[in-house]
Amino acid sequence: MHENYKELIWTLAKTDFKLRYHGSVLGYAWAILKPLLMFLILNFVFSSIFNPKNTGIEHYSLQLLISIIVFNFFSEGTMAGLNSLVQKYTLVTKIYVPRWTIIAAATLNSLLIFLMNLIVIAIFFVWYRFLPSPESLVMFFFLLILTYLLILGFSFIAAPVFARFRDLQQIWEVLTSTLFYASPIVYPLSILPVKYHAIILLNPIAYIIHHLKIAITENRYAPPWETAFFSGAVVAFFLVGMVIYHKMQAKIAENL
Amino acid sequence: MENLAIKVENLSKTFEIPHEKISTLRGAFVSAFHQKTYETLLALDNISFEIKKGEFFGIIGRNGSGKSTLLKILANIYAADHGQLKINGRISPFLELGIGFNPELSGKDNIYLNAIVLGLTRQQVNEKYKRIVAFSELSRFIDQKIKNYSSGMQVRLAFSVAIHANRDILLMDEVLAVGDENFQKKCLKVFEKFRREKKTIILVTHDLETARQYCDRIMLMRKGRIEMIGEPEKVIHKYNLQNIADAKKS
Repeated sequence: MHENYKELIWTLAKTDFKLRYHGSVLGYAWAILKPLLMFLILNFVFSSIFNPKNTGIEHYSLQLLISIIVFNFFSEGTMAGLNSLVQKYTLVTKIYVPRWTIIAAATLNSLLIFLMNLIVIAIFFVWYRFLPSPESLVMFFFLLILTYLLILGFSFIAAPVFARFRDLQQIWEVLTSTLFYASPIVYPLSILPVKYHAIILLNPIAYIIHHLKIAITENRYAPPWETAFFSGAVVAFFLVGMVIYHKMQAKIAENL
Repeated sequence: MENLAIKVENLSKTFEIPHEKISTLRGAFVSAFHQKTYETLLALDNISFEIKKGEFFGIIGRNGSGKSTLLKILANIYAADHGQLKINGRISPFLELGIGFNPELSGKDNIYLNAIVLGLTRQQVNEKYKRIVAFSELSRFIDQKIKNYSSGMQVRLAFSVAIHANRDILLMDEVLAVGDENFQKKCLKVFEKFRREKKTIILVTHDLETARQYCDRIMLMRKGRIEMIGEPEKVIHKYNLQNIADAKKS
């Protein structure tokens, strides 16, 4: 019935993007300012604790900035995906459009905001006169694709569930702020005892952030088999999300 | 099936409605450990009917008779529990006007948004844009935000987009209830045009006068079942009798 999925998703995402900072004086600047202010505060507090003498890490600030921006992408993306169907309920209950397009559009909007934030990272690279290696940039974008798959997979499950169980938003809010501290964002993984590393890295966003950091600033990588295994797990999660979405989608309109 | 637009066979739909709304914290704690009870509501009870191509088909019935549920199943918004549904041609997926309209956007942006939601491609909207604006008679205001439109203007814009969505089968749920008399006349003219173009129109309405004037056949629904399908005069007569009987009972 709908042949224009791509245009539909793009139009919905663009409209969200346009309206998001609508009416605010600083407008789109907020998309960048929010993670930037968070970075400035955390950097002020923690950069002296995690200084090179204590941790042996040279580029703490840069790592912190990248981590915050990527985590922000993850938390905003999952939250937008989770909310998408409830927020746009008229598109669900008054008309038929494939519901996944609404979910996809919401996460795409977060992706657009994230892409703006990448500019900030680029500016900081220049500021710190830091040149990441080409292979670390490849890893960077590879992990970002995995992050987006994670967001999509989560949203495909969470959005239809949220239509029915409205507690989910509160739960996820608490969980994301827990995940923020459970991931090596403000602290480097190396300050924890080695035996806890595996547990911390079981959390996929922690895994992504840790490997982003060490790839960009230290040019270190996980063994290829580990990266392959992790990517496989993320893709599998995404597919499971699609299957669960498919099973739930018939009842979405009734549950809203 | 060739000269049919829609064929429905043994269609049923039930809803589960939870018995109590939990509004207190204590209630939430208590009910978390209890099995929640549901009331099942049989919104559509094994209904079958056919609609011919090019037919102007009315659906009437009291509130809660299942009209809107039926329309939502036809539009693919709800899934039926069981039964067969065959649709021949492209169905307009909307039940209300102006879905997706955003008050903070301009009339122009809303035309694009709404039309793309209705299934047009951007290219098609480009081609039809002038006609859509002309029909709505809003060219002077098209770059203003629609929150500054009167409700009548919004409806005109929405209707104008809807009729340019170019579908073979149109589903309309009380769309004529809004708008002033001039606008309603304009709508009815469009309906006439659609009829000439052999489009199928399914209209859910409480406005018996319009139903009598325009519908080829009318279906009367009551408590999820079809009471009668047939000529407008007869069906409306039966509906009126039922209403009088119901009024006496209560």
